[in-house]
Formats: sequence, structure tokens, C-alpha cells
Amino acid sequence: MNKVLILTKMMMKNAEPAWRVEKGSGWKTALLLIVIALGVLPMIGSAVLVISELYDGLALIGQQGAILGFGVAMTSLVIFLFGILYVLSVFYYSKDVEHLLPMPLAPGHILGAKFTLALVYEYYTAVVFLGPLFITFGVKSGAGIMYYLLAILVFLVVPVLPLVLAALVVMLFMRFTNVKKYKERFRIIGGLIGIGIVVGFQALFQRQSSGSEFGMEQIQQMLLTQENGLLGFVTQLFPGSNLAALALIDSGTWGSLGYLFAFLFVAITGIAAFLYAGAYLYFSGVMGMSESVAKRKEIVDTAFAKLVQKRPAMLAYALKEWRMLWRTPAFLMNCTLSSILIPILMLIPLLSRRDSGEMISFIQTVMQKGSVAGMSIAIAFAAFLIMGAMNSTSVTAISREGQGFFTNKLLPMPYRDILLAKLFPGLVLSAVSMLLLLAEAVWFLQLSPGFIILAIVSGIPGLIFINMVGILVDLQLPKLRWSSEQEAIKQNLNPLFPLVLGLMAGGLVVLASFSLGTSMLGTALGIIVLFTLINIFLYRLVVTKGPGWLEQIEG
Amino acid sequence: MIELVNVTKSYNGIIKAVDQMNLTVPKGEIFGFLGPNGAGKTTTIKMITGITRPDHGEITINGKNIRSEALEAKRQFGYVPDSPDLFLRLKGLEYVSFMADIYEVPQEVRGKRILQLADRFDMKNALGDPIQSYSHGMRQKIMIMGALIHQPEVWILDEPLTGLDPKSSFTLKEMMREHADSGRSVFFSTHVLEVAEKLCDRVGIINKGKILFSGTFAELREHFQSDVSLESLFLELTKHE
Ligand SMILES: Nc1ncnc2c1ncn2[C@@H]1O[C@H](COP(=O)(O)OP(=O)(O)O)[C@@H](O)[C@H]1O
Ligand SMILES: [Mg+2]
Repeated sequence: MNKVLILTKMMMKNAEPAWRVEKGSGWKTALLLIVIALGVLPMIGSAVLVISELYDGLALIGQQGAILGFGVAMTSLVIFLFGILYVLSVFYYSKDVEHLLPMPLAPGHILGAKFTLALVYEYYTAVVFLGPLFITFGVKSGAGIMYYLLAILVFLVVPVLPLVLAALVVMLFMRFTNVKKYKERFRIIGGLIGIGIVVGFQALFQRQSSGSEFGMEQIQQMLLTQENGLLGFVTQLFPGSNLAALALIDSGTWGSLGYLFAFLFVAITGIAAFLYAGAYLYFSGVMGMSESVAKRKEIVDTAFAKLVQKRPAMLAYALKEWRMLWRTPAFLMNCTLSSILIPILMLIPLLSRRDSGEMISFIQTVMQKGSVAGMSIAIAFAAFLIMGAMNSTSVTAISREGQGFFTNKLLPMPYRDILLAKLFPGLVLSAVSMLLLLAEAVWFLQLSPGFIILAIVSGIPGLIFINMVGILVDLQLPKLRWSSEQEAIKQNLNPLFPLVLGLMAGGLVVLASFSLGTSMLGTALGIIVLFTLINIFLYRLVVTKGPGWLEQIEG
Repeated sequence: MIELVNVTKSYNGIIKAVDQMNLTVPKGEIFGFLGPNGAGKTTTIKMITGITRPDHGEITINGKNIRSEALEAKRQFGYVPDSPDLFLRLKGLEYVSFMADIYEVPQEVRGKRILQLADRFDMKNALGDPIQSYSHGMRQKIMIMGALIHQPEVWILDEPLTGLDPKSSFTLKEMMREHADSGRSVFFSTHVLEVAEKLCDRVGIINKGKILFSGTFAELREHFQSDVSLESLFLELTKHE
């Protein structure tokens, strides 16, 4: 236990916080946080509103407990998904692993410390979800101090079980994919297949259940017969979450304490199972993490000639960035593949509903008519913009370099050219997202060629905009000290900034086209003119101020 | 030719990692930068190469100021960092070609140069593999190849011999000699006395950010008028008060 604590402390100190306050850059961090808060606060505000509305509605039929259950279950699900990423980066891809392995430590020591570290990260996520939920519920139900004490306890325990499950899944996966050759590729493909299977089942399951009256009737029955019966239904989403909810409903009664102990018991059992399984799975999965395939064969002349082909410096630099993005698993998952996967994943809800056909033909007839057509262009623009904002490539272009950042200072290449070359992969990837999304829309909606062309032509300035915003943000607060590549992206606040900005800008454009009632062409022209002007300004900023900012960064 | 005039650098505002340094590395010589761990060697090299900025002072390489004529100055040198764990996801050949592109090495000569360097460092069979799969010494060798591909006038090497096997170490020393003998400069840091004594035309001894002595070994002995071993002399010079 003592060793676990020592290790945890060491890892905490070694891990950089999501933002690093440097001399003189405090105000930048503050600004970033303010902008993010401006984006997040309305979301939390509306969440609070929705929760209290729901509470009032459900309280009428005595089912308000379901809100807690649903919230806990959804949070658990999110934590499970994040947990998979955290466990991968903290347990496996972290640089300290190779230093810890030779030490006389049992798997339990390393696992205990790493689990604690991942758990702390999960609390950041959990507080965003559970904080508003528990507080709103407490206020609405007029709960006493006991409720809030229990709520804190429940909050601390909720992430444990999802994280245990995530760790078990990942440890099993890493154990059985620890093959000699092409390990990284094998793991990525294995992971993708895994995602595919889960998503496929999900779609199948939804298709089965959506639109069938059977489910509704059952629910109605349940609502009528038992108090808080809905709770049992919604908490099926995640095991154990019903116990958490029940511990908080009627807080302070013996019954609720019973549920609390049951919940604690489940969590502790989970940790025990995790440690037990980890003793068998962890070391055999993590060993040889940094091994790589080597053929040690001379390159044949033709291939050699091709590889040493001369390229312009900027192109060579962009190509280097591109290769790193595709070959580093963490970057591949977060930047490259996600720009392809997200547009495809968005299809699933559409494909999995039986009644989607009618919905689509309805949208199709409405959207290309008159003033609504103008708004459709605006909506398409907003979708492309947000899709581009969800892509972390440009906004981590500098952070991704980590300790190797200094190499930029050595190269006899103007910083301006470096910055422009760094924009290239992000632009390409967000363009791919845009085209994929558009292709899906064309497939479903039989869009007119005019619409397609206008959507693309107005979308491009949006993509340039969001990518330039990204690199400007990363220039201000690059996160260069990370211990695993995953951290450069996921434990970095910078990607939130373009996301908030993209949501706001997209929303404003849609709102403007709605209130102005512009035509399709008018909307497109407006967007093009506006964003081209903004882009000229941002471009000037990148090429005149950017080099100075890059110069200031010291790794 | 490298010139430092009154260069000072402090990381935290209190302790000076490099203190009022004046240093000239002439053409046609191998200059050894000698000092114990933490003396300020890497910091000095990082300032010369433009990686970090000095608080005060001017640095020129072949007369080009690293701050005001940055690009011209950067084209003058090839630099091998002390830690070679860079560009690990690239293949060796991809890395060297990348450097060749950035330094605009003409198409006609680059293939031949790469093969020559690979041959001398025994790296031919590794060029097609990712740098991740290289040993420490191999990583160092690929960094050296990347640094020398544009045939720079000035070589700047931070502890270049530390991880190399005897053969590669011999090759590099031989190449350093050839380079200096052709009238150009080599600047390298080390904390190994024997290497410095055998290889260098001139040494600078640094401790706590200050140059304690700069000149030839003969001058060093003369200066201190002692016939004790070089090691005791060095220990005496860099003794912590
Ligand atoms: N990035 C850094 N931040 C703070 N201090 C540093 C940094 N790099 C080096 N130092 C300090 O500067 C001094 C000189 O270090 P360095 O130049 O690396 O020494 P050498 O290369 O001679 O071993 C040391 O006291 C070291 O602690
Ligand atoms: Mg050093």
C-alpha cells in the first residue's frame, strides 16, 4: 500500500496538468479558460433547466428517482469510454512504464498507482456531469445535509466501476494482441474491429427496439405499478448505477444506507477483481511496448531512388507531419481516423431507425425550397465547421512535437513556412470529413448539383478558418511536456477552444440566415465574403505574429 | 568559425547556467568543450544553434548572427543533439531525406552522399527501418547522418561519442579530423578527458557557466606550470569550492 502511494505521488508530480501556467502566460490561460467557460456554462445552464423540468414532470407520477439513475448510468458510460483511452495512455503508452518495469514492484503496486491516476482524471469528467445533476436534484427535492454528504461519497465511487471495466477490457485486449510483428498495426485494426462490432450490435439493437409498441406498453405498465419503477429501466444502461441512485433517493434512511454499502461493496469487489486479473494480464501485455519491426535489409535501388526524391522544403515538412500523424497510434486515433470515423458514426442513428425513410423524404422536400434552402446551406456550413473543430490536428500541431519541438528552431526554414506546412494535414483531414459528410447527404437526400457546389465553396473558408484558429491557439499555449502521446491531445485544453468557437460561429451563421431569410446563393455568398475577410485577418496574424510566437516557445 | 561575445543565460533568473561567456572557435580546428555535468555545455550549444535565446550577448557563426540572420546562420552548421530520441516514427532514410529537403541538397548528390555516410557508419541495412527500432548508438548515427547531409561548414556535436561503438567512434573522430583539416570547424562537447586530449586542437574548460581556460593542451600545461596528470589538473580546475 505504501508503495502504491509513493508511486501515485511520483506519477502525479510527473504528469503535467492540462494547462501549465508559465511566467507571463497566466493571462493567456485565463483567457482560454474564460472562453471555454463561456461555451460550457450555457450547456450546464441548459442541463440544469432540463433536469429541473424533468424533475417536475416525473415527480407527478412519482418517478423522479429515474433522473438520478439515468444521470449516473450515462455518466458511467461516458467514464467507461474515456476510461479506455485513459487506461491505454496511463497504463501502456506512458513513458514511465519502461522505468517502472525493472524496479522490484509487484504488478499490484504499479496497477494501484496507475489506477488512482486514471481515477483522478475521471473525476474531472464526472464532476461536469454529476455536479449539476446532484445539486439540481438536491435543490428540487429539498434534501437535507445528509443528501449532500452521501452525494459526495457516491460521486467519489461512481467512476470506480466503469474504470475497472475499461481496464479489464483494455488489459485483455493488450494481453492478447501482444504479438511479435506489426504489433501497433495489429492493435489498431483490432481496436477498429472492436468498435465496429459494438456499433453494429448497437445499431441492430436499436433497430429492433425502436418503433415497436411492445417496449412502450411495458414501460407504461411499469410506471403505473411501482414507485420509481422507471429507475430500474434506465439504469439497465450500466450495471451498479441503480444502487448509486437508490442510495441518494430517500437519503439518510436505513434503506438508503443499505444501498450505499451495496454500492461500495460492488466497487471494492471490482477493484479486487481488477488487481487480481491485472496480476496475470498487465505485465504480459505491457512488455515490449516500444518494440518495433525491423527488417535490417538493404533498400533496393528503385525504392531508394524514390525515397530520396527531392521535394520543396515546405512539402517535405508537411509530409513529415503527415507521416507522424498516421504512424503514431495516439495521433492516428485522435486526429487522422477520427476525421473519417466521426462522419461515418453519425450515420448510425439514421440507419438504425426503421422510420428514418419517411423522415428523410420529408427533410428532402423541405430543405431545398425557397428560404429554407438558404438555411440548409448555413446548416451544412455549420456542420462542416463543427466537424473541422472536432478534429484536433491543427490545434495540437505544436503540442504534438513534445520534447522534439526544438528541432524546429534548428532548421533553416522560416517559421512562417513551418506554420503553414503545419496547417496542411489539418486542412486535408477536415476537407475529408466535409466531403464524407456531403457524400452521405447526397446519398440520402438527392441534393441538387447547385447545392453541392455552394456547400463546398462556402465550406472551404470555414475549414481554413477553424484550422487557423487551432494553430493560433496552440501557438499561445502549447503543451510540450507530456509523458505519452495521448496526453498531448487528450489532456490538453486547447482543442476545446476551436470547438466552442466552431459551435458559436456555426450557430450564429444559422441564426443569421434564419432571421435574414436569405436565399441559397445569398447565404453562400454571405458566408464566403465574411469568412474570407476573417481568414485574411487570421492569415496576416499567422504570418506576421506567428513566427514571433513560435520563437518564444521553449521546449 | 563560431564567436560568442558576452553571452549570458539563466533559466530561473537566479543561477546563471552560462555566465558572460566569450569564446572563439577558429576555422580549421577541432575545438573541445570540456566540463563536468551541469557545467553549461549543452546550454551554450543550444544558444549557438538558436534553440534557446541568450539573456545577453551576441553569437555569430561564420559571421552570421544567429538572431538577426537566423536562416543564413542555420545553414552554416550541422548539429547533433545530446539525446537522439527524435523522429522515432520515421524510417532512417525518410529522416535523412527530410533533412536533405529542408537544407535543399541537390538531387544529383544526395543519393550518393546518403550511401557514403551509411557505408561509413555501417547503417545500410537499417535505413529502411523505423528509427524506433534502432539502438541508442544507431539513433545517434542517423542523427549524425541527418546533420551532415548538407555538408555544413561548421559541425556542432553535443557529446557525440558517448553511445557509439569503437568502430563508429573511430569513424566519427576520423571524419572530424578530415573536416577540420579541410579548413572548416568542429565544435563538440565532452566530459571525457582522454578523447579531448587525443582529438582536439584546442579546448575550452567550462565550469558553472564560466570559461576557466581556453587554448591548446600545451598552453594549459604551461599556464598552470604543472606536470601533474591532466586528470588532476582538470579536477583541480573544476573543483567545487
Ligand atoms: N531546461 C532547463 N531548465 C532549467 N535549468 C536547466 C535546464 N537545462 C539545464 N539547466 C541547468 O543549467 C545548468 C547547465 O546545464 P547543461 O548546459 O545541460 O550542462 P551540461 O551539458 O554541461 O552537462 C545546470 O545547472 C542545469 O541544471
Ligand atoms: Mg549536456
